[in-house]
Amino acid sequence: MNTEARLQRAKEILAPFTKETLTPESNRVDIVIDAADLTQATAALKAADWGYLSAITGLDLGPEAGSLEAIYHFCDAAAVTSLRVRLPREGQPEIASVADQVPVASFYERELSEMLGVIVVGTPDPTHLFLPDDWPEGVFPNRRDFKIEDAAPVERDVPKVPEQGRVGNKFIVPIGPQHPALKEPGHFEFAVDGEIITGARMRLGYVHRGIEKATEQRNWIQNLYLLERICGICSHTHTSAYAQGAEKLAQVEVPMRALAIRELVAGLERIHSHLLWLGVVAHEAGFDTLFMYSWRDRETVMNLLEELTGNRVNYSISVLGGVKQDIGPEQSKSIHKAMDYLEERIRYYLDVVTSDAMFLQRTRGIGTMTRDEAILYGALGPTARASGLERDVRVDAPYGAYGKFPVSLITDERGDLEAKFVVRLKELLVSCFTIRTIVDNLPAGELAVRFPRKVPAGETVSRVEAPRGEAFYFIKSEGGESPTRIKIRTPSLCNWTSVINKAVGHQLADMPMMISGMDPCFSCNDRMVTVRRKDDSQTMTWAQLRAYGIEKYKSR
Amino acid sequence: MIATPNLINRVVSGITTWARVNSPWIIHFNSGSCNGCDIEILATLTPYYDIERFGIKLKGSPRHADVLVCTGPVTRQARDRLLRIYEQMPEPKFVVAVGSCGISGGTFAGCYNIVGHIDEVLPVDAYIPGCPPRPEAIIDGVVKLLTHLKNGTRPEPIKPQLGEQA
Ligand code: SF4
Repeated sequence: MNTEARLQRAKEILAPFTKETLTPESNRVDIVIDAADLTQATAALKAADWGYLSAITGLDLGPEAGSLEAIYHFCDAAAVTSLRVRLPREGQPEIASVADQVPVASFYERELSEMLGVIVVGTPDPTHLFLPDDWPEGVFPNRRDFKIEDAAPVERDVPKVPEQGRVGNKFIVPIGPQHPALKEPGHFEFAVDGEIITGARMRLGYVHRGIEKATEQRNWIQNLYLLERICGICSHTHTSAYAQGAEKLAQVEVPMRALAIRELVAGLERIHSHLLWLGVVAHEAGFDTLFMYSWRDRETVMNLLEELTGNRVNYSISVLGGVKQDIGPEQSKSIHKAMDYLEERIRYYLDVVTSDAMFLQRTRGIGTMTRDEAILYGALGPTARASGLERDVRVDAPYGAYGKFPVSLITDERGDLEAKFVVRLKELLVSCFTIRTIVDNLPAGELAVRFPRKVPAGETVSRVEAPRGEAFYFIKSEGGESPTRIKIRTPSLCNWTSVINKAVGHQLADMPMMISGMDPCFSCNDRMVTVRRKDDSQTMTWAQLRAYGIEKYKSR
Repeated sequence: MIATPNLINRVVSGITTWARVNSPWIIHFNSGSCNGCDIEILATLTPYYDIERFGIKLKGSPRHADVLVCTGPVTRQARDRLLRIYEQMPEPKFVVAVGSCGISGGTFAGCYNIVGHIDEVLPVDAYIPGCPPRPEAIIDGVVKLLTHLKNGTRPEPIKPQLGEQA
């Protein structure tokens, strides 16, 4: 089915609820509906199996307009259908939760409520997702009239010390935020019965910086460098997604050569990211030799990135309107040489992870997620593809140069940790192949074209496949030197749901592997979550835990 | 000759300094960074840059560590944890701030969820600028710190200054 047919079908499915239909771009249709119809409209799309909920954007239309807007973006291949719901800005803007139909929506809804002040009725967990514990009530950063002075920390009340650290015959094992397993802060609480996990909870939000708001205070060009620093591992993904959206809004035609170079760098980024992941997970499994090997080989890519762009991390190859650096014959030679080496190494790793008996005990049959579960939890990227779910923006909705230099889709039916290794490593072979093709057939032409200082008013959706899955950008301009709103939804967020739900029933010792198996990236998705709790009747806040520690120490 | 308590103290402290200089254990905490600095720190620990040849080892627990390596601006949510980790480390302890955002807030300066840079929260002994600093720069910073440890002095950090107009 092509994009038009898909959009046509979405319009038919949503016809009973439609108040107004807008077609802002050729691959998008926006349907204005009443807040009361939201759950039914979502159910209708779900029943018809039309795409998946990719993000919820919260927009403040300003005090003059007096309204807020919640936009539910559904994506099906290249087609994007957005349900737009208008809400009053004053009083109690209320909207019904769709989390019972789409579990991952609970993250989006919490974000919507704390950032914009929309009350989501019936959402499973209405607590803070992004914002710190000491955030004042009634202050919403994504409102137009938000002032940083309003957000001064409020007095934190230290709750009473709980009586005991043990609940019945269950223990709560707290891990993090500082822990040896990951290089980023995240806090997990596992309720265990013996060695078996019976409940899991996580609290993130340690690296939330408030980048979405910051984009509104910086101009279009500054934002490129700010957004690049959402994540140092997939920095190029963010610049590509942002540049692509801004270029669409400004109607700037980017030269093919530039797009091809962007795709090439994206391929290198995927290699460095997956090799990094391979090392980290091998380390979790106690297989430090593989960790050291893969990180050593990763330096090949880092050196190559440095040679091509001038920097190892945060390479800034993209500018608005094109790319900064060209690839000459000299660089082509080093690229081919590096690919020769890497291909050989990747084949070797593929052999190791599928044949090493000790390692297989840690990966085979662990954390198996079926295709249906992957759909239900809204998994993305390699996590989804390892469960046989064909979801890859590069293939479904080719952007940039992916039409000219296509990549092949890698999936695996098994859904366990081993499948995740196999999928990622095979993807690397595909990336190596694409990189070689691009180098050999680099289209002639300019590197960049002029980008205007002001961008015409409009809205656009830009989707890019990051190493971890689909990154979603919604960009709105009102014709000024800065964007009005940039909404970013990164893939790790969607994948958490699957991991935490799969945790129950596994051994505690498998958790580090399962968590790293999805390749979590906190810096881009930082939020806080309670996904599943059976009967772990006691959880301590940080203040409680601290007070408890002090009490215990004193009473010795 | 009978060993006086004074002599024993001197010998013991000599041995600890020797041990610390030859094998400082570090702990790493990310209080809001973009990961760029963190992956470069990890890269210095792996075979290519191999900071372990200076005896430096990454530890999981703050209670085992001599040096706290921090990255990123300090977010409101991470501030207390950063402090707590620092409190848990045994004396004498040293703090290294890696990356522009740990030094000045970097691109994130002024964001609503940022309390500030690291030296607004902890006393910092060494700054390693860069966004992210290259592994060589990180090694250089750590080795400079080691030289001070050997002499038994606390380094006087020179904080990188922003440009003239800033
Ligand atoms: S200094 Fe740069 S690379 Fe390091 S954490 Fe900050 S933004 Fe990221």
